[in-house]
Amino acid sequence: MAGLLVLGANQVALGDMLFILVSFIVLALLVKHFAWGPVTKMMDARSEKITGDLDYADQERSRAEKLAKEREDALKSSRAEAVEIVSKAKESGETQKKSIVSDAHSEAEEVRQRAKSDAAKAKEDAMAGAQNDIANLSLEIASKVISKELNADDQKSLIDSYIKELTVNEAK
Amino acid sequence: MDDKYKFIDFLGLRFNVANDLSVLVSAVLVFILVFTLSRKITMRPGKAQNVLEWMIDFTNSIVKSAMPDGSGKQFNLYAFVLFLFIFVSNQLGLIFQLKVGGFTYVKSPTSNPLITMGLATISLLLSHYYAVKKFGFGGYISNYARPVKFLLPINLLEEFTNFLTLSLRLYGNIFAGEVLLALIGTVAKSFGAVTFVAAIPLAMVWQGFSVFIGAIQAYVFTTLSMVYISRKLEQE
Repeated sequence: MAGLLVLGANQVALGDMLFILVSFIVLALLVKHFAWGPVTKMMDARSEKITGDLDYADQERSRAEKLAKEREDALKSSRAEAVEIVSKAKESGETQKKSIVSDAHSEAEEVRQRAKSDAAKAKEDAMAGAQNDIANLSLEIASKVISKELNADDQKSLIDSYIKELTVNEAK
Repeated sequence: MDDKYKFIDFLGLRFNVANDLSVLVSAVLVFILVFTLSRKITMRPGKAQNVLEWMIDFTNSIVKSAMPDGSGKQFNLYAFVLFLFIFVSNQLGLIFQLKVGGFTYVKSPTSNPLITMGLATISLLLSHYYAVKKFGFGGYISNYARPVKFLLPINLLEEFTNFLTLSLRLYGNIFAGEVLLALIGTVAKSFGAVTFVAAIPLAMVWQGFSVFIGAIQAYVFTTLSMVYISRKLEQE
């Protein structure tokens, strides 16, 4: 051991360079294994997670925006639809009312016309009936007058009875 | 300065015990630091994990500023370990120096040019390795004659100046800091109590400044390493 120890200050100790080379490499490997590796791995994982989270947030936000827009559109369209439905209902109600009124008008007119014509026909019929009755009556009177010679009283009573009959007939 | 070191000859190589021990202490300190900070790794980071991630983000940003296109991801670990190791090494000599029987055993390992050259060698070897890997050996060689042919000697020279400036800048800063600290110590001991009291604020100021320098130099070394690597990896 004593032979290995050499005292001196002016010799170049090239072994030092080798020593620092080896020790530096060993240090680097140890640091890599115990600290650098796990920490950088975790840092990468973290940055990846952050990017992922940011991406996810962006995605979610755009989706939410899309949904909100869709909902707004739906709301707008439903409002328009409602307005349309109301206006359509109003319109149809209007036309129905119009048609009902016009139907009623025409029906009333028809009823009136029919009544008018019925009345006219009844009058005509009555006139025709009366004419027949008068003709028959006068024919009967004539035949009775002819068939029977009557005295004045009988004649008078006869005429009265006929007149009465006639008035009764007329009153009928 | 006038420190004495113990040397060990082993396998035909000469080892400076002080340097190697200091490197080992720094490496162990760095490992303990990141090991304790990385015990509980969760999706929602705790205090320790936050500190570790802050350091990782810091060195990652150094790499990113040199290689903005994201191609530097493979150097993130290297930048992280390099920065932490140099930072701890720089502070080590300020916090404690171990001297036994006139021999120094623990100091800032970066106050020795061989150690900083070793670190610079690692950086530049990485840059050459990845350049060959990217362009192929022919492309790597032809890159020395770009953008124009007559720049070939300058480009070749640059490889050596890069190596020397990278390593000697760090060594110079830390070594000078230790020298000045030792000088202040000598002043303190020179005339008894008077100079001792007068030297205390001086030593405090210089130590604070050395902490600052140590951090800056760690940052500079890491940044320049990444710049050299990125320059090797792009075709002009």
